[in-house]
Formats: sequence, C-alpha cells, structure tokens
Amino acid sequence: MTGDAPASTPAIVEAGPLVTRVQRLLVEQGGEPQTFKGMVTVRIARTRVHDAVRRLKEEGFDLLSDVFGMDWLTFPRHSGPRFSVLYNLYSIRANERIFLRIDLDDGEEIVTITDLWPGASFMEREVYDMFGVTFTGHPDLRKLLTPEDLEGHPHRKDFPLGETPTLFNDGRFLDPAAFRAGLIGKSRGLTGWVGGARKGVVSEQVERVKATKRVQVPTIEKRDVDGSKDSE
Amino acid sequence: MTLGSGGGGNVMVVSEEHGPFDTKHMRINVGPQHPSTHGVLRLVVDLDGERIVHIVPHIGYLHTGFEKTMEHRTYQQCVTYSNRMDYLHGFGHDLAYVEGVERLMDAQVPIRAHRVRVILNELNRIASHLVFFGTGILDMGALTLFFYTMREREQILDLFEQVCGVRMNYGYFRVGGLYRDIPEGFEERVRAFVDGFPKMMDQYATMFMKNDIFVSRTKGVGLIDAETALAYGLTGPSLRASGVPLDFRKAQPYARYDDYDFDVVTSDAGDAFARFEVRFREMRESLRIVEQALDMLEPGPVQDPDRRISLPPRHELEESMEAVIFHFKLVTEGFHPPSGAVYVPTESARGELGYYLVSDGGSMPYRVKVRVPSLINLQSLEPACKGGLFADMVVNIASLDPVLGDVDK
Repeated sequence: MTGDAPASTPAIVEAGPLVTRVQRLLVEQGGEPQTFKGMVTVRIARTRVHDAVRRLKEEGFDLLSDVFGMDWLTFPRHSGPRFSVLYNLYSIRANERIFLRIDLDDGEEIVTITDLWPGASFMEREVYDMFGVTFTGHPDLRKLLTPEDLEGHPHRKDFPLGETPTLFNDGRFLDPAAFRAGLIGKSRGLTGWVGGARKGVVSEQVERVKATKRVQVPTIEKRDVDGSKDSE
Repeated sequence: MTLGSGGGGNVMVVSEEHGPFDTKHMRINVGPQHPSTHGVLRLVVDLDGERIVHIVPHIGYLHTGFEKTMEHRTYQQCVTYSNRMDYLHGFGHDLAYVEGVERLMDAQVPIRAHRVRVILNELNRIASHLVFFGTGILDMGALTLFFYTMREREQILDLFEQVCGVRMNYGYFRVGGLYRDIPEGFEERVRAFVDGFPKMMDQYATMFMKNDIFVSRTKGVGLIDAETALAYGLTGPSLRASGVPLDFRKAQPYARYDDYDFDVVTSDAGDAFARFEVRFREMRESLRIVEQALDMLEPGPVQDPDRRISLPPRHELEESMEAVIFHFKLVTEGFHPPSGAVYVPTESARGELGYYLVSDGGSMPYRVKVRVPSLINLQSLEPACKGGLFADMVVNIASLDPVLGDVDK
C-alpha cells in the first residue's frame, strides 16, 4: 500500500475465500483493493464506512482489531487527501484479515462505528486525539492519551518531536530550544521565559512572574566556545 | 464535594467531571496513584450504594509518544523503544516489531535465532503471568504469595540477564536475528528452571486455586461472555477465558511456532477466576514450548547473512574496505525497506499485539502503529464491572492484566 493513486481498474486481489468474497461486495460499491505482502487493503469512500463495516461484520469479521490514522503529508509522491483512517478487521472463524482505508482531508468527518463495535470507542478517540479526525455520533469523543491542555495533534507530521515547552506549576516554562541554546552558551540559559507555550499565554505569565521576582532567572556562564582559539 | 464518604486516603469525591451529575449516585475517583490500579490508571466510578453503575477509565498519564519517536529513528534503533511499552513482556513487543520489519525486508531469519526467540518469549510470558498472579492476589489482600511468584520471576530475569545483560528493556533481538548467540551454559540453566518450575506450579495451584478467599473473591465475578468480549475487542488469555480459542501462535504462526506442540487453553466460565485459571494453565503450555525449543535448538548462525540488514562479521572489517563501508552505512543510516505497509499479529501475554509499519522507502519507518492489547482490553472493564460490587472492581482490573505502559504507549 502506498500513497500513490491506485491502478485505473480496481481488480479483486488474490486472498483467502472470505476476503475474496467481501472484496467483491466492496468493489461493487466502489472499493479499490490493493495487496502488499499478502495483506489486503480496500480503499472505500468516506461516506460508506459505516455501511461497509456493517457488511463485513455480517459476513463474518467478528473482531475489530484496530482503528488508526495516517498522515500522508510528507510521504514521497503522495497525491490525494492528506489523511487516512484504517480499519483492521479479523475473522476468527476464517482466520483472515482485511484492512479498510478511508482517505479524507483536514476537517472532514467520519461516521462512528461504536454502535457496531463498542470496542471502537478508544480506537476512534485515539485517532481523534492524534490526528484531529472527528467521528460523528461517537458517544464520548474526548482526547485519549494527551493532556487536556496540549494543543494540536501529535501524530500529524507537522507536529514537532520533542519541542513542546514544558509548563511547571509555578508558572515557569522550560522551552527546549532555549534550554539547548543556554547549554551551548548562545543565550542566557534557561530562557523559558521567551518560549512558546501550550496555551499561548507565556508573555503574560512571564511578565507576572518577573514582576513578583519570586523566581530568579538562572544564568549559565558562557562556555569558552568561541574563545578556544585564544588558548591554542 | 459535600457527598464525601469516600473510604481511605486514596479515594476522593470528585464533582462535575463528566456529564450531568446524578444526585442519586455517588461519583468517586480511583487513582491514578492507587496501588491496586497497577500503575497510573485513573477510574471515575459512579456508584449506587455498593454497586457500580458506570465506570470511565482515564488514561494517558504514562503517554510517552513511542510511536512518534520511532518515526524519527532507524528501523534497528526502534528495538530500543518497542520493549519499553509493555515492560513486563518486553520480548513479546520486540518479537512483534522485528517480525514486522522482517516481513517488510523479506529477511531469512536463521532457525537457531527463531528457537532462541521463542525460548525467551515464552519465559517472558511466564514471568509476566507470575507478576500478574502476584499483584492480582496482592490486590485481594494476600501479601505473602506475591513474594513466592517474585521468587520464580527472579530466576527468569536472571536468565535474561545472562543473555542480554539487562533484566528488563532487553533490546536483544535484531532485525534478521539476534544481537549475539546465547552464552555458554545457558541451555542447562534454562533446563534446570524448566525442571524445577512445575513443582512451584503445584505449590501455586494449592496457594491460589484452592485458596478459599481467592476462589470466593473471583468465582462469578466480572462476567464477560464471548459475545461481549468480541464486541469490546478483548483478546489474549482474557478472551480465551470467555471460551474463544483465539491464539495467534496457533492461528497465524510466526517465529516458527507451528513447530511446537501445545494447546490453546480456554475456559467457558468468563469470570475473573477463569481469567486467572487460563493464565495459570497457559504457563504450563509455555513451559512445554520452551522444553521443545530446547530440544530442537541446534548450533548454527543467529543472524541473517543478508548484507542489506546485517552488520558484516568483525574479522572482515580488518580486511575489507567494503565491509567497513557497509558497517558504517548500516550503523549511521540503516537499511531501506521497500515502500509499503505490513502488519504481523502476534500473541503477547496480554493479547493480540501487532506493529503496523508503513515504509516510504527511507531508513526510518514513516508510521508505526502499535496495536497494543492492554489499551483495547481495558475497555472490557466496563462490561465486567457494571452492576458488580465496588470491591470487585479491583479484582476485575487485576484479572484483565493491563500494563499501563502498554496502555498509554
């Protein structure tokens, strides 16, 4: 499975008897099967999710293994919508597995399948949390893993890794970039005071803390980075 | 906050947290520091007297963003992260991850590496179940038995230490094989453990399964029937305790599990006792697998000789410039699997565990999605607890065996 556009005529790919049968059903409704290393993924239209999953359940897929998201933002040569949501379904009796893939853009919604599988609740919440995809009809669509005050969706490709400023209880911030700058002597040290914040209220907080003078801004002495030539 | 009659120091009354507040019911908060929640699990429970009406798990206190971090590491470096999720069954996570990458790379793993992997994985499963038993019965108030199970777990961890130098967070598996061969005398030590352990299991059988308090605390508690279990995505021993014989070691064998003769343990009761019992009997099956793997263990290489993924042998580095270049490229840049996605389901001590790996042709995975069993199994807590006693909730948490590192990723 790649992010590229599929072949022009969707053909049923080779698979076990159950997956072959349901592929026919899905292709009739405009599904596009793909296979890679024996794994069958059928791309279906966003609006058909609930119907398709219900059909698969009736056909004998009794375990909803997972629901998860994908962000194709930096995938090479990708064309089409930015996000995908994949459904991983398994049939215990037939011992076969199928993936459903739905492509969608930012802001588009999917109908929840929690009425078919209550176990989809956490999975959809995780997708909502990590990618910002909304599931309509979900009974309790809240963030699952990240803190309430974290803005953004961490698994999006444009969300930076390890660059989230840390907020402490007394109103101090530790800004990673500034912290590193302090360590190599490029700035005055733990200058979390100028960094961005989760809620974007740094400057106010900084001013308030500075005014009270409760916390001293620690300064790290400039290391002799540039001056190394002198000693040689 | 005026409703408070909540028990000890760990239980407190919370007001408007979720949804409309029903004055008939009492809403109390358990955790995330409560010792019986096996980590940092927080539960908001609505009670009608002693009966649980509604239970909402709040998770994420241990969220570390492993999946995101793995997108920024080479395929080999990711082995460092995989075992840190489920710290009690680290080899299971390592195995699931390397199996995925090997499927992506079409690696030919030597048979000896498979045998060693299975031995370690099954020993780790036993160790994980021992912690499950120890802490499970600890939650019911019996401290002594915890030390018994820890005693045997310690022996297993000692074995792991001999193999890879650490007791947890192993990182011993490599894509295409193992970091190095097992040390001399390891087989004999495993055999000594395998010979001695059944005697301990008999002891446990008396201590747990015939323990009146344990039986009356767990029998008929937290019933989950097969239909509900499947609807909530329950897998692993907990699902087998509800009568569904799903075991990916049998269903879709990986790591040559089809070479071994073992049974899929099931029970039809679906209560907490059955979940304990299934895991108990499963330890014997794991022991059988370890025994057979030891018998089948033959000398040979432990790493795929494929130069795309494996480092050249040490002696070649002194003679061949190409070997040095290969070594340098593999260590600094890593290998490049073809563009595509794979998913290999494995059977962890907690359920279906699989890594959905998406490659864009680069040396780091484009996307890693771990299907962690604990996270999805945790949802079954609601059907198990609903209508039951508040005191039984602790038993239900223990019997579902969540590892919070595995829940929060």
